[in-house]
Amino acid sequence: MEKEPTQEYIQVKIDTPRPYRWSTGKYLGKLYKEARDRKKLVTNRCTKCKELVYPPQMVCGRCKVEAGQDWVEMSDKGTVVQYTYLIFPRWDPHRGEYYSSPYPSATVLLDSGLYLRSRLEEQDTKKLKRGMRVQAVWKEKGRGRGQDDIEYFRTIEELEVGK
Amino acid sequence: MANRVAIVGIGQTFHKSKRPDVNQAEMANEAVRAALTDAQLGSKDIEAVVSSNMEPFEGVYLPDHWMASEMAACGKSGFKVATGGTSGASAVVEAFHLIASGLASTSLVVGFQKHDTGDTQAGMTACMTPVFGSGATTGAISEFANQALVYMEKSGAKEEHAAMVRLKADRGACRNPYAQLKLGLKGVEEILSSGYLEWPIRILDFCPQTCGACALVLASEEIAGKITRKPVWIADTITVHQEPFRAGSFGDPTGLETYSQDVASTKLYKRNGITNPRKDIDMAEIYEPSTWEEMMHYEHYHFCDENEGWKLIEKGITAIEGEFPVNPSGGVLSTNPIGATPVIRVAEAALQIRGDAGEHQVTRDVKTAVATALGGCNWTTMILLRRSL
Repeated sequence: MEKEPTQEYIQVKIDTPRPYRWSTGKYLGKLYKEARDRKKLVTNRCTKCKELVYPPQMVCGRCKVEAGQDWVEMSDKGTVVQYTYLIFPRWDPHRGEYYSSPYPSATVLLDSGLYLRSRLEEQDTKKLKRGMRVQAVWKEKGRGRGQDDIEYFRTIEELEVGK
Repeated sequence: MANRVAIVGIGQTFHKSKRPDVNQAEMANEAVRAALTDAQLGSKDIEAVVSSNMEPFEGVYLPDHWMASEMAACGKSGFKVATGGTSGASAVVEAFHLIASGLASTSLVVGFQKHDTGDTQAGMTACMTPVFGSGATTGAISEFANQALVYMEKSGAKEEHAAMVRLKADRGACRNPYAQLKLGLKGVEEILSSGYLEWPIRILDFCPQTCGACALVLASEEIAGKITRKPVWIADTITVHQEPFRAGSFGDPTGLETYSQDVASTKLYKRNGITNPRKDIDMAEIYEPSTWEEMMHYEHYHFCDENEGWKLIEKGITAIEGEFPVNPSGGVLSTNPIGATPVIRVAEAALQIRGDAGEHQVTRDVKTAVATALGGCNWTTMILLRRSL
């Protein structure tokens, strides 16, 4: 009997980009406007529980009520509460680029009480630590991408008050 | 009062990193056939089909539409569920609801994911709100790396403990015919010499990307009584949401899933009379994308006190032959077809209750088991199974 030929497994490659236009909405739109025009982060505070809602949005998750229009400007300084860095490169579809090592990322507790996820400028991984003080550095030419227009957080030295 | 619902059929594919030999539909069909065979039912006996898949990973729009035939869904009711990592658990919960409510007497759950199609980490990064937060996080690994670092500093857990979790997973996977990664690891040294992906996550600390599917047949008490002597009852389920991707929400500065896991397990245990989870539950199949996450989950699900998770692994309590086995199947660390992953958790827990887990059957007699799922955006789903109600 003749042996059946092995089937070739065909794969179709799809690598065409798909453009999108996302509406930022009434609340998030304010953050995008202020970031674009003034290089500042703003967010709303729930009018009931007075907690910051971030990114700005219509409903407070805790109170389940309309969060309201109590807008607050965020401090650009903060403290690193957790961090990590890449060792293996990673593709980001939002930016259409690879991140290469170390690309440190961190959660920064801004002095105005907001936990923010962002990147760090410090490339020497030995110098990364929790508790380090950092300040936002905005891109010179932002792309109108809100928080993403913060290039990174830069390590800062601060004089200790009261000494 | 809800109708009783039993798992009467369990089926899964062999899990592999690449399946160029099949498309999504053909792959899912392998699990569907296996589950129907296990239930000794035909596709005509199924009234509703609930499927689970995350579209961004394959880039295939509405796969449930074009694979209806292979899922035995033509001419029947049902829907697809996509809730991130919890998708498969949400599908089980919805299939359970259909029967518990009396709307159907049989339902089929089909979880599937074909990870060889696209870039999953890119898909995951894109899961952040469409316009917000890009660049701040780099896929799932980054999330779990952040959490691991905090856990390490807070609890005193060492990298050796993370390695012990992989060693336990690998021992289970090597006994599980369906698992993907069977590394045959000899000891922690081997794991501690594997490279880092992202500090402090090593390649062996993280789950793989898997092609695979898992299906379950659910039935009413009446049908179950006719077709099986070993029904596994779904005693209860719970789903809890959390504000998505927000560190600091609900007083949790690290962005861990502690809030939703704490609320879910506290409520579930309370309404099922579980006061000491490690005693009242016989084993768990949890959704642990990283070794570190498993140790944290021991604490979040109250299997132990805070900062004690790593002691459970150190003492071998969660090993196959241990006092409270967790993930004897090898878990997510060994096999992760995302849309199917939580379905596999339920399937594996059910196999343990039936006593049909074969070489990875745990030593402890399993009368009660819990399956969990976690996923973006920090949701938690838990499913409690019992041998008798």
